[in-house]
Amino acid sequence: MYSGRRLKEALFTVTIITLSVAAIAPVLHIVYTVLVNGVSVIVKAGLRFFTDLPPTPGSAEVGGIAPAIAGTILITAIAFPLSVVLGLFSAILTTEFPKNPLSLLVDTIARSLASVPTIAISMVIYTVIVVPMRSFSALASALALTIVALPYTYTYFSAALRSVPAMYREAAFSLGMSRWDTVTRVLIPISRRIIAAGALTTLARIMGETAALLFTAGRFRGGVAISLTAPVDAIPLLIFDYILSPYEIWHEVAWGASALLLLSYLAIFMSVKLMVKEVKL
Amino acid sequence: MLAVEIEHLNVYIRHAHILKNVTLRIPKNTVFVIMGPSGSGKTTLLKVINRLIDFTEGVRVEGVVRVLDIDALKADPYELRKRIGMVFQTPNPFPHLTIYENVAIAAKLNGVARSKRELDEIVRWALEKAMLWDEVKHRLHAYPHQLSGGQRQRLCLARALAMKPEILLLDEPTANIDPINARKLEEAIVSLKDEVTVVMVTHSPHQAARVADYIAVLYDGRVVEQGPAQQLFLRPSTEITQKLLRGEM
Ligand SMILES: Nc1ncnc2c1ncn2[C@@H]1O[C@H](COP(=O)(O)OP(=O)(O)OP(=O)(O)O)[C@@H](O)[C@H]1O
Ligand SMILES: [Mg+2]
Repeated sequence: MYSGRRLKEALFTVTIITLSVAAIAPVLHIVYTVLVNGVSVIVKAGLRFFTDLPPTPGSAEVGGIAPAIAGTILITAIAFPLSVVLGLFSAILTTEFPKNPLSLLVDTIARSLASVPTIAISMVIYTVIVVPMRSFSALASALALTIVALPYTYTYFSAALRSVPAMYREAAFSLGMSRWDTVTRVLIPISRRIIAAGALTTLARIMGETAALLFTAGRFRGGVAISLTAPVDAIPLLIFDYILSPYEIWHEVAWGASALLLLSYLAIFMSVKLMVKEVKL
Repeated sequence: MLAVEIEHLNVYIRHAHILKNVTLRIPKNTVFVIMGPSGSGKTTLLKVINRLIDFTEGVRVEGVVRVLDIDALKADPYELRKRIGMVFQTPNPFPHLTIYENVAIAAKLNGVARSKRELDEIVRWALEKAMLWDEVKHRLHAYPHQLSGGQRQRLCLARALAMKPEILLLDEPTANIDPINARKLEEAIVSLKDEVTVVMVTHSPHQAARVADYIAVLYDGRVVEQGPAQQLFLRPSTEITQKLLRGEM
């Protein structure tokens, strides 16, 4: 017998599947387009995509994006750990001492930072760092990105710490653990999956952020800079500039750079997923 | 010799008066049972003894609380807690640590064990005392989510014991576990008396009859009666005690 309930259930399942496909279809389309257009460029350029300078507009060869790769690695290497550490300490402060005036201040700042447009952050860093130093720099870029990333790490990490059931805190304190031990040996490890996910999202955000670099990085594409005080390039900046240019060869490079960014997200995402085991409550 | 001595203790949480002029004497190396209806303040009383009450928002504690001959309300709570173990109403072994690590953690942090061998010994001793060793000795590196509720609660007892406490606070340790596991836990508790003072909350008069040396009855935040267990069972002086011990409350 085909009852009304079973019909309803079937309808429900079909609806859910249709909606989920509709929701992820655009994402899959983006991933597909970027990979199809981009991977071929990387394959064509070969290893030189990672070691060479970008082509001139008239060039027949794709060349590489070495300055952008080096720049992105350099500023990410500063901004990411900085935003994770600052975000974690702020989250610990505000979750452990919610009534403390300093906590209220930190919480307010972090929340309002989240609503500041990243281009505005770029302008502020431009006036307080770039102008006095008389140069665009990796340092200015990294600071701008840290400010962009902080609300993310802070929000994720404080949600993670708060997600740990109170009974584990009580257990830790009842064993004579200090506040520090309770946070580092109990609260953080129990919520490590959420913390890792938050860190990852932030990493992706940092590597892909463009506007914050507009007035800070300096788009130096004439060589590989490894100085904190010299102008740098970054992958998203290069994509932004090259896609807007009228030259076919630069469009190709931009696709290749997009694919590279996407592939590195996937690689990081997978490895963290494999490395950080879930805690079963 | 008193392990805990409480005089005129008043606890307020925001505007609610939770414990009212409580005076209690808990002799060393005994099993001291606290009984009382739900909401009478039993858990709150335990948390005053190890100062876990500090983490309750809007709390105010007044009176004298002497624990192991120190002024517990003025002492460093973190140092105090190292000498007092606690097992909670709901089993709460650390989910991210293995069975072994759960038992070892406090012993390691509090400096009870100095070498790996000492730690192994303490872990085994604590698990044996908690009557859990035989069930877990072949899977010390499994995680607690693979244990039954009763086993988890005994793991929590082992965890508390491994820090070699002088006082053990047990908040309805058998509330959520089956009768067989509950009996095992009771046996464990009675066998501990030589080493620690046990302060235990229970709702079960039968359990109280089996393990208690002393009983205090709490009702609406007040101690209505306290004394040797036999005396309370034979000649309860208040109606509340009578009802509680008959299991009617
Ligand atoms: N954090 C808190 N905030 C407000 N009131 C609280 C808090 N903790 C406990 N209380 C109140 O204090 C009273 C005593 O609570 P307590 O947990 O000590 O009772 P109990 O005797 O352990 O009860 P049960 O047998 O149900 O565990 C209750 O009325 C409870 O509502
Ligand atoms: Mg209780």
